[in-house]
Amino acid sequence: MKILQNSSDPIYKQISSQLRDDILSGRIKGGEALPSIRSLARDLKISVITTMKAYEELTTEGLIVSAQGKGYFVNSLDSRLIAEQHQRRVEESLSDAIHSAKIAGITLSDMHETLDTLWKLDS
Amino acid sequence: MNNAIVIKALKKEYKDFTMNVTAIVPKGFATALIGANGAGKTTLIDTLCRVTAKTSGDAVFFENSSLPEYMQAEKTGYCSSVNYFPLSWNLQTVSKCMSIGFDNFSKERFDALCKKFEIGSSYGKRQKKLIKMSDGNRVRVALAAVLARDTDLLVLDEPASSLDPLARDMLCDMFRDYLSERDGERSILFSTHNIADMESVTDYAIFMAGGIVIEQGFVEDLKNKYVLVHTDSGKAEKLKPLMTSYTENATSFEGLALAGNISISDNNMIMTERPTLQQLSVGLLRKAGHNE
Repeated sequence: MKILQNSSDPIYKQISSQLRDDILSGRIKGGEALPSIRSLARDLKISVITTMKAYEELTTEGLIVSAQGKGYFVNSLDSRLIAEQHQRRVEESLSDAIHSAKIAGITLSDMHETLDTLWKLDS
Repeated sequence: MNNAIVIKALKKEYKDFTMNVTAIVPKGFATALIGANGAGKTTLIDTLCRVTAKTSGDAVFFENSSLPEYMQAEKTGYCSSVNYFPLSWNLQTVSKCMSIGFDNFSKERFDALCKKFEIGSSYGKRQKKLIKMSDGNRVRVALAAVLARDTDLLVLDEPASSLDPLARDMLCDMFRDYLSERDGERSILFSTHNIADMESVTDYAIFMAGGIVIEQGFVEDLKNKYVLVHTDSGKAEKLKPLMTSYTENATSFEGLALAGNISISDNNMIMTERPTLQQLSVGLLRKAGHNE
C-alpha cells in the first residue's frame, strides 16, 4: 500500500480507496482477513485511529465486516453489490467530467465524441 | 469501549496554580497531552502517577478490569521528562535498581533496548555514568528502562523533546510496536510540544490551558469538527465572530473555526481545508491564550 503524507486526500481516504480497489477487483477475496488496525498502523507508520477510520468507512459501505475480537474480514460480496459499487464509481467520475465540461463550455455531443474516442484508445 | 484512565475532576492546588481536569485516556490508543508551557501537563501526569498528591477528585486506571489496585502501578510505566534516574548511575545500576523495584522488569530486554538505542550495554565493566551522557541519551536510558517492564499503559512526560529527528521517528515506531504487540490492550499517554513530529502516532488528543482541559477527542473526529479557513484580508469582518481564533495581516486572513460555523456556499472567497493536528493545536491554544 502507498500512503502520501502530504496529499490533499486525508490518509484514511487513501487507505480505504486502495483497499476498495483491491476488494472490488477481487485481488482480496471474500472471507479473507485484513491486517489488524494496529499492525496496519505500524506498517504504514500512521496513527491507529487513521486506519480505524478507513476500516469504518469500508464497513459502512458493506465491503468489510468486523468480527468481535477477531478483527476485520472482507465481506463475501454478491455480484449485485459489486455491480452497484462499480456503477456508483462510474457515475461519480462522469459527474466530475460533466462538471469540468460545463465550466469549459463543452457541449453534450462533444462529450459523447470525447468518450467514444477515449474508449477506443483504451481498448 | 473501556478507558485506560478515567479522570474525574482531578484537582491539584498550588499557591499560584490550580489544575482541575476531567478527561479520558481511551484504551488501545496513543493519547497526546498538548498545551502551552505552564498549562498543567506535567502537573496532570505527576498527579496521575502519584508523584505528587492530589487535592481532590479521582482517576480510575484500567476501567472495568479485575486488576487489583497494587497491580495497577506495576502495569503502568511512568517516565518523567528530566532526571528520571540519579545522574551518578550508569546502565548497570539502572538495570539493577529497576529489577529490585519492579517484578516485571527484564534485564535482558533492557540490555536489548540499550543496544537498539545505541547507548551501550548494561553488562560489562566499562560503564558510563548518566552525567556524561547527552540529554537525548539520558531520555533513551529512561525509555529503555520503562519499556523493559511488562506494562499495559505508558505515561510519558515529554518523551520526544530532547530527541533528534531520527530518534523521534524511532520513538513513534516504538509506540506503534507497543500498541500492536497486544492489540487493543495497551495504551499510551504522553505530553508533547513536538506535535508535528508526533502526529503520526497520536490517536486521541487532550488540549490543556490554564490548568483545565479546553478540548479533547479522537484526532480524526477533531479534524472533522474544525476547519482551517483562509481568505483575503478585508473580506473577513463577517467571519471574525464565527472563528475560534485567527490571525490577519495586510494580505491574508487565516484561522480555525468550528466546521458547522462556516458554510462555503455563502461566500466563494473563502477557502477551507482540513487542519493538521499542529494547526488544530495552534488554533485552540491561541484561543486559550486570548481568553486568559
